[in-house]
Amino acid sequence: MKISIITILALLSPFFFFAQNTVSGIVTDNSGKPIFGANVYLEGTYDGSTSDENGKFSFETSETGTQTLTISYVSFEASKIIDDVSKMKGLKITLRDDVNSLDTVTISAGSFSAGDNSKISVLKPLDIVTTASALGDFVGALQTLPGTTTVAEDGRLFVRGGDAGETQIFIDGIRVFTPYSPTTNNVPTRGRYSPFLFDGITFSTGGYSAEYGQALSSVLLLNTIDEPAQRKTDIAIMSVGGGLGHTEKWEKSSLSVNTSYINLAPYIALLPDRNDWKKPFETASGEAVFRQKIGDGLLKVYGAFDTSDFELTQEDINQPEGTRFKLNNQNFYTNASYSKMLENDWTVFGGGSYTFGKTKVGIDEANIKDIENSAHLKLRLKKRFSNRFKLNFGAEQFVTDFNEDYDEPNFAAKLGYYNDISAAFTEADFIFSRKLALKLGVRGEYSELFKEFTVSPRISFAYKTGKSSQLSLAYGDFFQQPESEVLKFTNNLEAQHTQHYIMNYQYSANNRIFRAEIYRKQYTNLVTYNDEIPDVYTTFLNNGDGFAQGLDLFWRDNETLRNIDYWVSYSYLDTERKYKNYPVAATPSFANTHNLSVVGKYWINDWKSQIGFSYQYGSGRTYTDLNTPGFLQNKARDYNSVSLNWAYLLSQQKILYVSVNNVFAFKNVNGYQYANAPDVNGNFARRELLPAADQFFFVGFFWTISDDGKDNQLDNL
Amino acid sequence: MQNVITYLMIFFTALIMQGQTDSAVNTAAEPTKYQQGMRKAFQLWQENKSWEAANVFERIATAEPDNWLPPYYVAQINVINSFTEKDGTKLKAQLDKAQDFINDATAISKENPDLLVLQAQLYTAWIVYDGQQYGMTYSAKASELYNKALALAPDNPRIILAKAEWDMGGAKYFGQSIEPYCKDIQRAIDLFATFKPAGEFYPTYGEERAKQVQAESCN
Repeated sequence: MKISIITILALLSPFFFFAQNTVSGIVTDNSGKPIFGANVYLEGTYDGSTSDENGKFSFETSETGTQTLTISYVSFEASKIIDDVSKMKGLKITLRDDVNSLDTVTISAGSFSAGDNSKISVLKPLDIVTTASALGDFVGALQTLPGTTTVAEDGRLFVRGGDAGETQIFIDGIRVFTPYSPTTNNVPTRGRYSPFLFDGITFSTGGYSAEYGQALSSVLLLNTIDEPAQRKTDIAIMSVGGGLGHTEKWEKSSLSVNTSYINLAPYIALLPDRNDWKKPFETASGEAVFRQKIGDGLLKVYGAFDTSDFELTQEDINQPEGTRFKLNNQNFYTNASYSKMLENDWTVFGGGSYTFGKTKVGIDEANIKDIENSAHLKLRLKKRFSNRFKLNFGAEQFVTDFNEDYDEPNFAAKLGYYNDISAAFTEADFIFSRKLALKLGVRGEYSELFKEFTVSPRISFAYKTGKSSQLSLAYGDFFQQPESEVLKFTNNLEAQHTQHYIMNYQYSANNRIFRAEIYRKQYTNLVTYNDEIPDVYTTFLNNGDGFAQGLDLFWRDNETLRNIDYWVSYSYLDTERKYKNYPVAATPSFANTHNLSVVGKYWINDWKSQIGFSYQYGSGRTYTDLNTPGFLQNKARDYNSVSLNWAYLLSQQKILYVSVNNVFAFKNVNGYQYANAPDVNGNFARRELLPAADQFFFVGFFWTISDDGKDNQLDNL
Repeated sequence: MQNVITYLMIFFTALIMQGQTDSAVNTAAEPTKYQQGMRKAFQLWQENKSWEAANVFERIATAEPDNWLPPYYVAQINVINSFTEKDGTKLKAQLDKAQDFINDATAISKENPDLLVLQAQLYTAWIVYDGQQYGMTYSAKASELYNKALALAPDNPRIILAKAEWDMGGAKYFGQSIEPYCKDIQRAIDLFATFKPAGEFYPTYGEERAKQVQAESCN
């Protein structure tokens, strides 16, 4: 039947039947080089061809009239020509680079990221947890990156001459108000949240996006896993406690629950440390993430609760019998966020968090009870106009209600404040080509407490200098309100301010990364006060200022040595500031000049083992020697520590893990405490501030039970 | 860790694709444009011109928006060629392209075990490229996809083979018994004998590979 119609048509109109058009041309890239293998075809038809070595193509078609010719090739943007077929001859087609390609420049000034597909990843997901010195604490792993200072007794992040409070932590874009577990002053703290629930970490040591505020120095962004891979149960039995985790998956939703219990009593009974514990450290924590897909949207609800308890007598040079210190803390954090792709390349994100923190501290006769209620709400919209232009804007609100009851036999006080900050931000991303990108942003904040409005411009720029190298620049203004320690006494202040100037060079090829970054950070409006220890009668002013400048180097190599992956970080820091009750500008005791980290991992196939090594060096930190004139004029001895760990895969799902921190038992001194009054010879006596223990030993057994019998907890160690 | 995973994956790098061939049943009637196009693509593929074959499949995909097979084959060629690709930039571009076409095919044919297996193979290509970076997340995802595919098609020899091979890699490394997987492979070979594809140009590969795996690992 078909044949006969065609025959008739052919008979009636031979020209119609033989109306074949030739489509021909040449395909090149924007430098004029021919593209070999491009797919050239008329859309919706079977007619097309592939370009040859010279970029040339030619094919016949029986189609007539206006048609769409599509030219596509991997890693280029597809091009379309709509025209009459008869005119598609001798075409000259230039394909534009696809800027989604991996070799497109990315803005890397200031930020490190650990994650799967990020182009600027310096750490891999496993690193967060297989770094020998980190003991499974993600903050510990980040301390091996340049830009951080080794403050071993503290455990928090000190970035580029900033104190720990200048770094803010966000989970899924929502602020965490109390990220660290409380601890006593010679035992380092840990991040509250288990790395188990996160799959992307970005650590920015400066110049970050306008989306983030209330951080003078640094932000740490943690993203929870969108969709867990499978149902599984994780069991951990450790020398210091135990843990149990379970993930359940349904068609459109999933729930992960993770619990842990740590009790240092048996460990301290076996290996006593320098503290006189009445009740050794005990903590119980639980975390859960629930995820639900709603159409194209994703709802995530995260909740974490922990309670910590300990009591000890601390050595004190002014009190021969020591200082009693007792702490009980309960912390609850919840965070919910919803993101959805809308039509026309719009994405909406909304979320909020609520923190409840209750801390009871007893120091000698004084009892202090703090209650903090904080919330953060955020709404953000993104519009992708094209691969080359994206816009991001939003608004957020921070609320903190802080109350303190101070009670000692002859004195009692009630302190507190209510802080309300409203903010709006907008940021545009321009990718001009694979070689050139620019990010422009601005953030405005209004503080109800201070009746103050601040504007922070942010700009960053990246240029690709070669196939594997790029240069980035960043500038930004950052504001942050003083901490509770100040706000509970006064609200007659302004936000503290920094400006960052950053230049970054990055080379990355063949599993090797080299980064070098120089920066200058200018502090103004820092809070000063006139008393040793502030109280309600203290005068607070925004009179302080300071600077930090330096060089950060990072080198990672996973290629040169077989089965060995290692990285080296070095930071040089020059900083001084006048703030708090400093009589003159000085280098604070949490900053030092040189920091070096070397981290290595060696996989031994025959033993099914990974051996981890890490070395931390920090040059001495400052202290005030009361026996000579000056302020923060002396430096304590250098810090050294070598840590080792060994993970042995007993079977696919059972891992034995052993680690030792400070293997060589270097005696590190964190600083000195001086007596309040001189002795008969006019000398101030002093004592060394030593860590509670020089070394730490850890043994754990980790067992995963999953349907596929494959998954294990190596990524949790 | 990288090495464990690389080791696990070596078993997968072998191209599972072979005899993608003459499933084209010789229908008596004049071949349609679709049949002509598909035959031409398979012919190019057999002549080792896989990129040209992918281009033809891509053209057919635009002309036949309701058929999952053309995008499936575009994705498959991109995935297979990625196993030997060492340049990360090219690899990402190819696997992104493969992912786009898997998404297109999945939109046409949901809960399709062949597409699930292909998605698992795409993850495997990432793992082979950099086990340390992608191993943890992607191997768990791949495992889940194999489980799901097998649940959808418990008697499809190709799915049985793919899952058995995946599981075998891990078991071998840890010195566990591969006996159960050898049984699965034998079962796959038995089923291949009577396997009829659901239609013209549907995937038929696997029998040769099953025999090869059996010869190398079992017995």
